[in-house]
Amino acid sequence: MVTNAQENAVSPAVRARARRDRDEELLVWPDLVFIEFISAVLFTVTLTMLSIAINAPLLDRANPAVTPNPSKAPWYFLNLQELLLHMHPALAGVIVPTVALIALGAIPYFDQSNEGQGEWLSTPNAWKLTWIGSIVGTVVTLLLVLWDGSKHVVLWAMVTGNAESDWPKFLDWTRGARALQDNLPWPEALRNIPLGSKVLRTDLLGLPPIDLNVDIAAVMVEQLIPTGLMIGLPVLLSLVLHKTGIAQTRRDHMIAQFAGFIAVFVVLTLLGTAFRGQGMELLWPWEVKPPVS
Amino acid sequence: MATNERPEAHSLGDRVYDALFHNYVWRSIFRSGYPNTPRNQMLVVATNVFLHLHPTRIHRTHVKITHTYCLGGLSFFLFLGLTITGVLLMFYYVPSVERAYEDILRLETDVRFGILMRNLHRWMAHGMVITVLMHMMRVFYMGAYKPPREFNWVVGVVLLVLTLLLSFTGYLLPWDQLAFWAITVGTNMVGSAPILGEPNRFALIGGFEVGPNALIRFYTLHVIGLPLLAATFMAVHFWRIRRDGGLARPL
Ligand code: HEM
Repeated sequence: MVTNAQENAVSPAVRARARRDRDEELLVWPDLVFIEFISAVLFTVTLTMLSIAINAPLLDRANPAVTPNPSKAPWYFLNLQELLLHMHPALAGVIVPTVALIALGAIPYFDQSNEGQGEWLSTPNAWKLTWIGSIVGTVVTLLLVLWDGSKHVVLWAMVTGNAESDWPKFLDWTRGARALQDNLPWPEALRNIPLGSKVLRTDLLGLPPIDLNVDIAAVMVEQLIPTGLMIGLPVLLSLVLHKTGIAQTRRDHMIAQFAGFIAVFVVLTLLGTAFRGQGMELLWPWEVKPPVS
Repeated sequence: MATNERPEAHSLGDRVYDALFHNYVWRSIFRSGYPNTPRNQMLVVATNVFLHLHPTRIHRTHVKITHTYCLGGLSFFLFLGLTITGVLLMFYYVPSVERAYEDILRLETDVRFGILMRNLHRWMAHGMVITVLMHMMRVFYMGAYKPPREFNWVVGVVLLVLTLLLSFTGYLLPWDQLAFWAITVGTNMVGSAPILGEPNRFALIGGFEVGPNALIRFYTLHVIGLPLLAATFMAVHFWRIRRDGGLARPL
């Protein structure tokens, strides 16, 4: 007899293993080996032709004294470099990617069901949720970036025929994230709260002391608002999907969130790669000129 | 063993074939006969260390291209290709500030097929980042991270990070303006972390600025540290797929 304890000694994961049905199986040689061989050949040929056609870039010898404008990280980090333009560097460069990777790794532990396993998007609303997640992620990211780049002012100027500098004075604080910090009447007392080096006792760890002078306006704009948006918007999305009944299971929510994440990742990467010119200014790709030194 | 299941050879062709492929030396290398019977087909997979990454049989639906789009396999293929072209590049490249850039120039102009090797290495590296990301998406949308494959998904996330780090450490090596400033921007991001950022950045580039120490650190990580780690995690990844009963199927 198998006792409960013995049963539990095997993780549920192992118990959930699908049974093999032999008559549905094929031999790896030749059926799989053939496909692998063909795709390896195709890829070798394609990559060789690509490498004959296009040379890897090689610029001038490295010169620490000459900073090209703009200086960009490799493309797969340009999403983070794009974030860097909108929030505190510690948030964009370290905290967001760390949290994102941990969240990615946690997906299977959050959604432990077996529904929709082993087939493309096979749960009832899977496609719909993918579309919603992707579109919401794309649109919201674009709107936020355009707003922070004051593009709504540009649009307003174009439509009304005014100059951008004619944007009403009392709306100056809506120009972008920085404007919230610079153009709102923050009380002077909140602008500089000298906490000194006695709060974060980094010296106890043998690290250099940190002299804390907190500027509440800066903390709001660089840290609290971006953090709030990055947590709040996905939560809002899931809440709406839950209330409308479009997402019912954890798998459903995972699909919407994952699709949204991929969309944000792609949009930020594209923006950083093709739409940022000198001074990391937002431009159309055809206006972006090669970096100058 | 199942090697000699052929009838007596009579024609000249058969006899030549026998002499070539059924001789003592050949059989000491390949233990199964030509894989034209189910038995030999299974033996060839089970007895060859490279083919042994596979099971001997797989489910019918899993050989459809649209099931995996070969993305995991292509990531692995690119990793192998990068290893081969990378070893060739190492013959010509010295990771010192004085020589690195000149070595790349010389590789492009003086070495036969040198520029082809460099281009292949570069484009395969970009390609691998893309195929790994797409592989992750296919695994997600297929719900293939579900029990019992949770941990293999985590191993996958580690592989994704290693892939990015491999690409990033390689980016510095040509020691041109693109390399230098991309790594400066990238490592500055690390430096901005609260409290531990600066010490970490210092450890990563061996100083306050990208220089000779950064070059040798990135080189060492790029050609030995990270590839070994990646290969280890790939071994675990593939082993786990086998242990988890092959690829995911609907229950
Ligand atoms: C260097 C990177 C990687 C390599 C070489 C690799 C290789 C492979 C291969 C060859 C397979 C067999 C099926 C297929 O081709 O799709 C596979 C399956 C799998 N991979 Fe990866 N992989 C990598 C990265 C990742 C990442 C980033 C993830 C997820 C975050 C991941 C999660 C999985 C899972 C869960 C399976 C099982 C899929 C199933 O049962 O259908 N892998 N991997």
